[in-house]
Amino acid sequence: MLHRILDIISSLKLTIVCLSAAIVLVFVGTLAQVNYGIHVVQERYFQSMFVWWPMEGAGAKFPVLPGGHLLGAVLLINLIAAHIRRFKWGWSKLGIQLTHLGLIVMLAGGLFTDLFAVESFMRLANGETKNYSEDSARAELAVIDESGAELDQVNAIPESRLRKGGVIEHASLPFRIVVKHFYQNSQLQMLNGKTKLEPAATQGVGARVGVIGIPRETAANARDSASAVVEIVPPGSQPLGTWLVSDQLGAPQTFFCAGKKWRLAMRMARYYKPYSLTLQKFTHERYAGTEIAKNFASKVTLADAERGENRDVLIYMNHPLRYRGDTFYQSGFEKNDEATVLQVVRNPSFVAPYIACVIVAAGLLIQFGWHFAAFSRRRKNIPATA
Amino acid sequence: MKFSCAICYAGTAAVLLLFSGCDDRDGIKVYRVSKETPSPENSAGMMGATAPPGMSAESAPGIADTAPPGWEPQPLSSMRQASYLVKGDNGAVADVSLVILGGPAGGVLENVNRWLGQIGQPAITDEKLAQMAEKISAPLGEVSVVDLEGLPPAGDPAKDGRILAGIASDGSRTFFFKMRGNAALVAAQKKNFAQWISSVRMAEAGASPLPAAPASSPGAETEKPQIKWEIPAGWKSVPASAMRYASFTAVGSDGAAADISVSVFESDGGGDLGNVNRWCGQIGLQPIDENALKKLVIPSKAKDAELQTVDLKGSQTRILAGWARIDGRSWFFKITGPDAAVACEKEKFAKFLRSVQFRP
Repeated sequence: MLHRILDIISSLKLTIVCLSAAIVLVFVGTLAQVNYGIHVVQERYFQSMFVWWPMEGAGAKFPVLPGGHLLGAVLLINLIAAHIRRFKWGWSKLGIQLTHLGLIVMLAGGLFTDLFAVESFMRLANGETKNYSEDSARAELAVIDESGAELDQVNAIPESRLRKGGVIEHASLPFRIVVKHFYQNSQLQMLNGKTKLEPAATQGVGARVGVIGIPRETAANARDSASAVVEIVPPGSQPLGTWLVSDQLGAPQTFFCAGKKWRLAMRMARYYKPYSLTLQKFTHERYAGTEIAKNFASKVTLADAERGENRDVLIYMNHPLRYRGDTFYQSGFEKNDEATVLQVVRNPSFVAPYIACVIVAAGLLIQFGWHFAAFSRRRKNIPATA
Repeated sequence: MKFSCAICYAGTAAVLLLFSGCDDRDGIKVYRVSKETPSPENSAGMMGATAPPGMSAESAPGIADTAPPGWEPQPLSSMRQASYLVKGDNGAVADVSLVILGGPAGGVLENVNRWLGQIGQPAITDEKLAQMAEKISAPLGEVSVVDLEGLPPAGDPAKDGRILAGIASDGSRTFFFKMRGNAALVAAQKKNFAQWISSVRMAEAGASPLPAAPASSPGAETEKPQIKWEIPAGWKSVPASAMRYASFTAVGSDGAAADISVSVFESDGGGDLGNVNRWCGQIGLQPIDENALKKLVIPSKAKDAELQTVDLKGSQTRILAGWARIDGRSWFFKITGPDAAVACEKEKFAKFLRSVQFRP
């Protein structure tokens, strides 16, 4: 029985089935981007074990296609199993073994990138210092304890948790947060006595504003505006009320509980760094007499007290700053060239594709070289007939 | 063969575990960070939140404007990007605001009818709107401006009677420009209002937070609402949020902090009962009626004005508040925090109220 299972997971047929399914998945996923946008499709088609139907709404759902994670995992397992099962040492096999090893490294690298790579942005105005980057594709509810003299304690609740609704409890929070409503994408509207909209919340600005849930953004250059209505419930006490939190609201909202002042803010998810960057100058050169960009460059000061770093760095096209596992690419700029936008990529397995390519190239060279040498030997041994 | 089988199964299990167990996206992250200094972004209130950074025009950090001479900057709120008070003769005032909301925010007709409702006028149709709306070309796009006249029942003619309002949209956000106040004053300010709309633009990154000071106005500093007080020992000034005029914090011996705020609003600031009931809600108390409010209010005195004060005690939190209405503005003084912390600061708060001088 075990051998039968091993035969299946190491079979070439399984490879073909997976590759065929991958072709279908890429095709269907590409079409789905028209209606759902790239972020949703990536999440539901390629970063999932199954593609479920229907995609939206509650109720019964059925898996209609294997997701990218499942196909990648099965292909990786299939390749490793086949490699181990059919492994026979010999110099003549070295090339093919190396080529397969390279493919395994590439698949594993893809998997690790998908699981652990984080892309975010750091927007800096001239003279501004930041020690965090922001993820424009994800929101978070920051519940901030402001009672510390110098430090704030931030409890960041990701939007994926808010989406699930229910009660949120955490050891660092002396109260429960009940998610009354979550809107993945929303519009706020000032209340009008004649409309049917109800106040979104009982406390803060939400008492004067209504919320309308709208379909998710599908354009690549737009993002959802998440909102939620949350209730704060101290233990053994009446709820303090409900608050509307939305990334359209810039000013903070505060409340008191357990002897401390707390601040609520829905914002883009933040990734804090143990170092900071200060934008000294952003340069935007244009070709003479045109508005066509010639070069973008950001001169930043990198400060890291822990490692004693304090130096200026110039980031420009194809010359990113790599530091402590983060890579800062020059990505864009804002109004009147007074601010720069750096793309921040943290990918622990970014070297995997390079290593994989070198291994595959070496494997193919050895394989073809071996065959070429054998062919040459055979050709030399053929007696002349003329 | 057995060895290779074992390796295959172990590998399968490891890969599947990796796929299923590494996603910690639902986890709550807890960390400590340095206290933030409010940046132009944070203090600008509502912003364009529909585009990610790096997508150029959609990600402007805030707005900048130039107020006409005589417009007094007012504290901002969560809703307001800009706020001014315009004063006329005989106590006439007009309130000016700029609010930005994401999306169409109900559309032009819906909002014009909302404003008409505020001044007790019947709703209009699209055809009527098309006749009465003027178009102004501004940096934020084409602005539809309407001039609405009417006095709501029980409205104060010195402070109400006319609304000048403009709506513009850049596709992802809707901009609401509004002036509401005394009819004659608003009519006289029509040209200034149009100039102000034309001055509003998306701020350069890093530009000064709103409100922008009136351009080169030598009297700008003196036009701000003036008030004086003595800060009790142990109170620490902290940056005021957009809704506040001033903020303090007082930390008790047990480490519990009380928050002290001073806010100022135009007109009655929502009324006594409305505010007291809002505070009741904040600390889990049931709303009260007018009669109960009369019993609850304790008269008090500032240096140059009468104050009304309340002491509201919830199950965990306590609020002491005092307020006064001076020169068309409502001033609110409030201390909020755990019962013990507020009780500890009660004497200092009373002393603070007594030291307040509205017309120094």
